[in-house]
Amino acid sequence: MIGGEFGKIIARQKAGEKLELGELLVSESGENKILMQVFDLIYGSQISQQNLELISGMKLEENADTEFFDRNLRNYMLARLKNLVTINKEKAFVSKLMPSFFSEIKKEKKDDLSFLTKPENPLFIGNLRSGSKMLDVPIYLEGSRVLSHHILIAGTTGRGKSVLISNILWNLISQDYCGILVLDPHDEYYGRDKLGLKDHPKNEKVSYYTPKEPPAGAKTLKINLKTIKPQHFDGVVNFSDPQRQALILYYKFFGSNWINNLLFERKIEGVTFHDQTVAVVKRRLLHLLDLEIQGENIITKGIFDINAGINTIYDIIKELEDGKVVIIDTSSFSGAVEILIGSLIATELLNNYKFYKMKGTLSNSPVISIVLEEAPRVLGKEILESGPNIFSTIAREGRKFKVGLTAITQLPSLIPREILANMNTKIILGIEMKPERTAIIESASQDLSDDDRNIASLDIGEALISSNFAKFAIPVRIPLFEEIAKKDIGSKKQEKRDFSGIKISYN
Amino acid sequence: MKFAHLADCHIGSWREPKLKDTSTLAFSKATDKCVKENVDFILISGDLFNTSFPRLDNLKTAVNSLKKLKDKGIPVYIIPGSHDYSPSGKTMLDVLEEAGLFVNVVKGEEVCGKLKLNFTIDKKTGAKIAGMLGKRYSLEKKYYENLMTENLEKEKGYKIFMFHSGIDELKPEDMQNIITQPLSLLPKNFDYYAGGHVHIVKDTKIEGYGTIAYPGPLFPNSFSELEKLERGGFYIVENGSLRWEPIQIYNIFKITKNCNGKNPEQVYDEITSEIKHKEFNNTIVLIRLHGTLSSGKPTGIDFKEIFSILYGKSAYFVMKNTSALTTKEFEEIKIDVKSVEEAENSIIKEHLGQIKLKNFDNEKEELLIKSLMEALSTEKQEGETNPDFERRIKEEVSKVLDIDVK
Repeated sequence: MIGGEFGKIIARQKAGEKLELGELLVSESGENKILMQVFDLIYGSQISQQNLELISGMKLEENADTEFFDRNLRNYMLARLKNLVTINKEKAFVSKLMPSFFSEIKKEKKDDLSFLTKPENPLFIGNLRSGSKMLDVPIYLEGSRVLSHHILIAGTTGRGKSVLISNILWNLISQDYCGILVLDPHDEYYGRDKLGLKDHPKNEKVSYYTPKEPPAGAKTLKINLKTIKPQHFDGVVNFSDPQRQALILYYKFFGSNWINNLLFERKIEGVTFHDQTVAVVKRRLLHLLDLEIQGENIITKGIFDINAGINTIYDIIKELEDGKVVIIDTSSFSGAVEILIGSLIATELLNNYKFYKMKGTLSNSPVISIVLEEAPRVLGKEILESGPNIFSTIAREGRKFKVGLTAITQLPSLIPREILANMNTKIILGIEMKPERTAIIESASQDLSDDDRNIASLDIGEALISSNFAKFAIPVRIPLFEEIAKKDIGSKKQEKRDFSGIKISYN
Repeated sequence: MKFAHLADCHIGSWREPKLKDTSTLAFSKATDKCVKENVDFILISGDLFNTSFPRLDNLKTAVNSLKKLKDKGIPVYIIPGSHDYSPSGKTMLDVLEEAGLFVNVVKGEEVCGKLKLNFTIDKKTGAKIAGMLGKRYSLEKKYYENLMTENLEKEKGYKIFMFHSGIDELKPEDMQNIITQPLSLLPKNFDYYAGGHVHIVKDTKIEGYGTIAYPGPLFPNSFSELEKLERGGFYIVENGSLRWEPIQIYNIFKITKNCNGKNPEQVYDEITSEIKHKEFNNTIVLIRLHGTLSSGKPTGIDFKEIFSILYGKSAYFVMKNTSALTTKEFEEIKIDVKSVEEAENSIIKEHLGQIKLKNFDNEKEELLIKSLMEALSTEKQEGETNPDFERRIKEEVSKVLDIDVK
């Protein structure tokens, strides 16, 4: 340790060692240890820049066979370090100490990190990473708090967002403290034709809804028109004020049969609409809900139905409240339909949880997180300019009711600053674009102002966790999904089959 | 091909002396109708009896009806349901099958840990029938998860699948809380799916599955079912088209009153004036009161007198339900109207995880509790000695716990 200032300490690297950006180092200072991280690497030399340029010129231009005397003493690497945390007897505190001047710093050892314990409600993110090395130290956050206070997962395509989500979901299946709703626009998490959540040893805690050929155990996604309310369209369809009023009036007058009556343009006593209002609303609803009118009948072509699916939303919410992971395959829908489904579930779920809070029974219910891919579609500045929707409401006040979002995006800069600030845990994967990095850094829970280069250099599967529920921004490596899944599947004990009551002939 | 599809006969279900023979009577009426209709065969999709060992008097009448069918050459194919199934496999159904009164189609092999069901072929029509039993709390879901479907789906010919389970996708709104399973667990490509367990009358065609039908019970099994269904019935399926045949044992007359803001005397007056000019010959009268009385208590309504008037007008049986009736004068008692199974289910869930055991998570605990409750809910049979009853219970429990109980 040879100089610098708090948060920007300069250390000299011993010859033969190879420090990396993001590497973790430990300094011992009396009873305390200080965990530090390399955020910059620079060359150092006892020889002046002018002489170095001259010597290099001699080598390049004249092929001179030059060699430094005491080369390890004269030329070396300097690392710039920032304090992460002060450790005292297996407890970690926000760092307010500087290491002693000229003291030695070492690479971290497992013992130094024993303060990283497994909380009561663990949410596994990955293994601690020192530079590019993955350490045998699993990183768990306190899941019930992290999930209710929202997670933002940001990273460029191909940096490991899907693997991270698959891992998180896989590990949460075994936990009873949370229910997770996944709107899956790429139908990638259940694993219809590949290894996926269906293969989890506790797959009875996974529920999968799909509109197309449900595999054994999956449910057909059908939603009854009676379960849709006008507010579910907020943020889905941009209705004008008169159109919105028409929706609300139909709902007030006809109750759960409002869509049916609106589609047949039935009159509401004492109410007159502008000529085109109902016709436009009708046309937009027919298009969005994939319906057709033939004579006196409504023909349903998509997932919205007049007979089936009356309990779908109820069942999904019940499963979430039972701590299950519910995956909705939205791969065959337009974005608007996917958001409408999400809006339907999220609205009713939040209403339930508000009711539980009012009754004083909310503590008995698990925390619920809603996984939203391409989050700016519902949380983007542009969409929110036309008014709030259920997802922005959850982002602002969901934590009070144990309902959170897990928002995934490669463009965090499109999300308003206020909502980004409400996402109290950010899992940052590699981001090349400067404005996107800036948006994340400016809203992070820890000071990441020196981590811009670090974030830009994050490789596939490397991440940085910034969270209100972590003492420092934790570098992690995300294990491959196949590795963790196969390990769990392999350790599952073969259950004895029980077919009692059936007359079986054993072969 | 013409066949009848019955389910949920629940012979012996009603405990009220005046109704205890009703389900047996409904069964006799249904089988008589089947003979008259000259059906080729009869399907009973679970819960022929209300317990695995029904009372002897009910059994005698049911056997009499089954014997008539046998004598007429009408085969009967059954599956055990959640009420007449037993974990040990020992039920009255076995005895009756041994006597040749019907065929239990739930038969198969275990192949590499999977359940392979075999078809039973109806000799006269060539219809191929396979089936899966039903268990309490829908525990049969595990069987479906380990079911080989390829052999069932690839078989050619007219195929019938008998099942005793609720289906998520077909569950009506007022049955939100019953435990059901996804449609995708049923094998595909059958012509007819003969369902039972859910007491609804419903038939629907689903792509890839054919017709899925629930005929409902032969006679309603509770106050609310009497209110909703009024009567039972079954399907006659002739060359692919369905006809629901009602079984009318008694007429139903419903009196439903919203008691908000009324006192017991006013409620009494309203009921008596409604029944004043009516006769109730061969009728079950159902009185449901709900709301909040402005004064007095529900017991202040003179039901004794109301009942007496109704019986004086030849009512066959009178029932009342005041579970949703409260009063302003007393502290509100919250009553959740649920079926016994739903109430048990929520109590089990509330108490899960109180004792921590290694390698024993909530799901396992729930499954064990439900299986044990199922095994322990069996009743001592008429003529069964205490040591025999004890032995039978031990056998069933040891099967659930996978241990030897000596």
